[in-house]
Amino acid sequence: MERTEVEAILDRAEALLPAVDGTRKATQIQESAVFGLVFLEDSTRTRLSFETAIHRLGQRAVAMTSTGSSTSKGESLVDTARNVAAMGVQGLVVRCRQSGGAARIADEVDVPVVNAGDGRHEHPTQGLLDAAALRSRLGSLEGRRILIVGDIGNSRVARSDIYSFTALGAAVTLVGPPSMVPWHLASLGHSIVVSHELDPVLDQADAVVTLRIQRERSSSGTVPSDYREGFGLTKDRCRNLRREVPILHPGPANRGVEIDDGVLEDASRCLVLDQVRHGVAVRMAVLERAMAGASG
Amino acid sequence: MNHDTAKPSSRILLTGGRLLSPADDLDLSGDVLIEDGRIVALGQDVDAGSADHRIDADGLLVCPGLIDPHVHLREPGQGAKETIATGTAAAVNGGFTSVCCMPNTAPTIDSADQVEWVRLKSEATGRCRVFVAAAATIGRRGESIAPIHTEIAAGAVAITDDGDGIDDAAMMHRVLATCASLGVPFMQHCQDPSLTRDATMHEGVVSARLGLVGWPRVAEEIMLERDLRLNRSIGACYHAQHLSSGGSVAILDQARRDGVRATGEVSPHHLLLTDAACDGFDTNAKMNPPLREERDRQALVQGVADGVITVLATDHAPHAAAEKALPFEEAPLGIIGVDCALPLYVEALVASGAIEWPRLVELLTIEPARLLGLDRMGLGRLRPDGPADITVIDPELDWTIDVEQFASQSRNSPFHGRRVRGRAMLTMVGGRIECDRLGVASMA
Repeated sequence: MERTEVEAILDRAEALLPAVDGTRKATQIQESAVFGLVFLEDSTRTRLSFETAIHRLGQRAVAMTSTGSSTSKGESLVDTARNVAAMGVQGLVVRCRQSGGAARIADEVDVPVVNAGDGRHEHPTQGLLDAAALRSRLGSLEGRRILIVGDIGNSRVARSDIYSFTALGAAVTLVGPPSMVPWHLASLGHSIVVSHELDPVLDQADAVVTLRIQRERSSSGTVPSDYREGFGLTKDRCRNLRREVPILHPGPANRGVEIDDGVLEDASRCLVLDQVRHGVAVRMAVLERAMAGASG
Repeated sequence: MNHDTAKPSSRILLTGGRLLSPADDLDLSGDVLIEDGRIVALGQDVDAGSADHRIDADGLLVCPGLIDPHVHLREPGQGAKETIATGTAAAVNGGFTSVCCMPNTAPTIDSADQVEWVRLKSEATGRCRVFVAAAATIGRRGESIAPIHTEIAAGAVAITDDGDGIDDAAMMHRVLATCASLGVPFMQHCQDPSLTRDATMHEGVVSARLGLVGWPRVAEEIMLERDLRLNRSIGACYHAQHLSSGGSVAILDQARRDGVRATGEVSPHHLLLTDAACDGFDTNAKMNPPLREERDRQALVQGVADGVITVLATDHAPHAAAEKALPFEEAPLGIIGVDCALPLYVEALVASGAIEWPRLVELLTIEPARLLGLDRMGLGRLRPDGPADITVIDPELDWTIDVEQFASQSRNSPFHGRRVRGRAMLTMVGGRIECDRLGVASMA
């Protein structure tokens, strides 16, 4: 995405925050639109976030999840999405375990499709909401250095974070053990560097995003048993960050693995709940854009 | 073989073409007289006498029938992808008169009965000669060795677990020793499975961007290197299939210099495309081994030019449209090849200046014939009393690849719409004309 596009979404999301907080109603984007949420991979906050965003926009959502649906009878991703689209919904929000799955569905249906996370590929609204939370904290991302720590290779959040952060002028350092952060990931954009150690780069950080260790996506034996010693955001390690440096986590957190309890609950530093709040606003802005594009 | 357009008992004269058979030191302008499925005479003073058909081959190359040592015909059991009838129709459409089919069918071709079944089915429905590569292990599972002696006795010409490599070194040793004792080639799909779990494309910049698990070069190289080490003392006829990595070319080169008995093959897509073709999650660029990077592509072309890689093979891998329409990670591996391979080889190897036409013909005829022992039947050559397996090629014809014109049942090709040069104009299998772009049938 271009910088202007990212900024337009973030600006709109910021304007929508009062609607998220319930202090003001958002204007309706369209009469009685129904969105189909096709969530074929486990999700709690992303699905609820999209549902909330849809409700705040005065629209309705129907949701399907993989358990108890036809996907457990072996129906393919595209067939499932086609059927939901055929029910006459005005847009689809898709979470799937296949990289490229959301785009594949978009090729096959006539309604807008919002990617809510496709395999290891991308999670665009997460990237945008992380940027929104950071921008609101730091003022601007221009020239800032942001550390992303964890299993970058398997992380769709990391990819989308990289794209939205760098679009806004930030530099990114990808941090983790070599098994999780191969050198070629530096190719994901300009001003991206790879570090296989966390401690030596802590003092460069203007912000830290720590990722969840995804046991469901890493083949057995790739998570070092001493991950916390090298890369966990422990209280001790956070003392080496400048005091104002914020910490983000996309959730759900493995407490005591990639982030310690005390850090997660340090409200002065840790933006996790702020991320969730911005998430609803960003998704409202994205859904508005998707619908405007569809009718325009 | 049915579908004859010209009866094999008739006398056919191919006149004025450039007769090109490197195995026979033949490269001259002349005629070929064919009768009863065999070449009666060829050269510059053929007594045409009472030919029933005269085919003007002026300006065309008259070559031994092309041989593809690596195709998937999908029978038994996978008729939604391809059948022996459609796969061999695709082969003759592309100029191939012989193919060797792989055993990763359902069920696996891992017994004399299965080899026999494919032979009978090919005789009944095939449009070209079909040779069988039978499995090395039962079910291609790598656990127990297949009845290799009886597979060969039933007519199999090679042994392979293609689709998977033989991972276990002791099993590899056993299979190589068995193949050596029988004097039959073993063909390895080099892929260390522990390095390619969940992998769907080359590990590199593109896989990083697409969020796909990468299949690193070393997974191919490590198995190739191990196999060559084993074969150093065994001396089997070891053949590495569909090489994809530049490093593999260097490994094979060194082993051959050291006197290890080994050959290698390369496919049109690895000679022409890179992992960039996977962008946009294009499942027609998903194959195994995967498309790699420009430096690998160049090393493979150079490997052919240097004589390290001596066999060309399409790895023709048909899949139904619905299967290739699945998301990238779920779509099956492979692309079809035989309908359009020839001009792709021409583009990658001749137009690029890596080799010249006579060497290309050698790579497509006598080299695979020697690998599979088909030269003993006279295949891969043009000579009197040899089988009349002949491919007539227009080396200058410009055309556009259109998958809708393919004879294969499937359409999974990344080359659709590509402008190419060079085309098979006539494919003759045992004297029967199976593909005719010269209008011979209408002259009859």
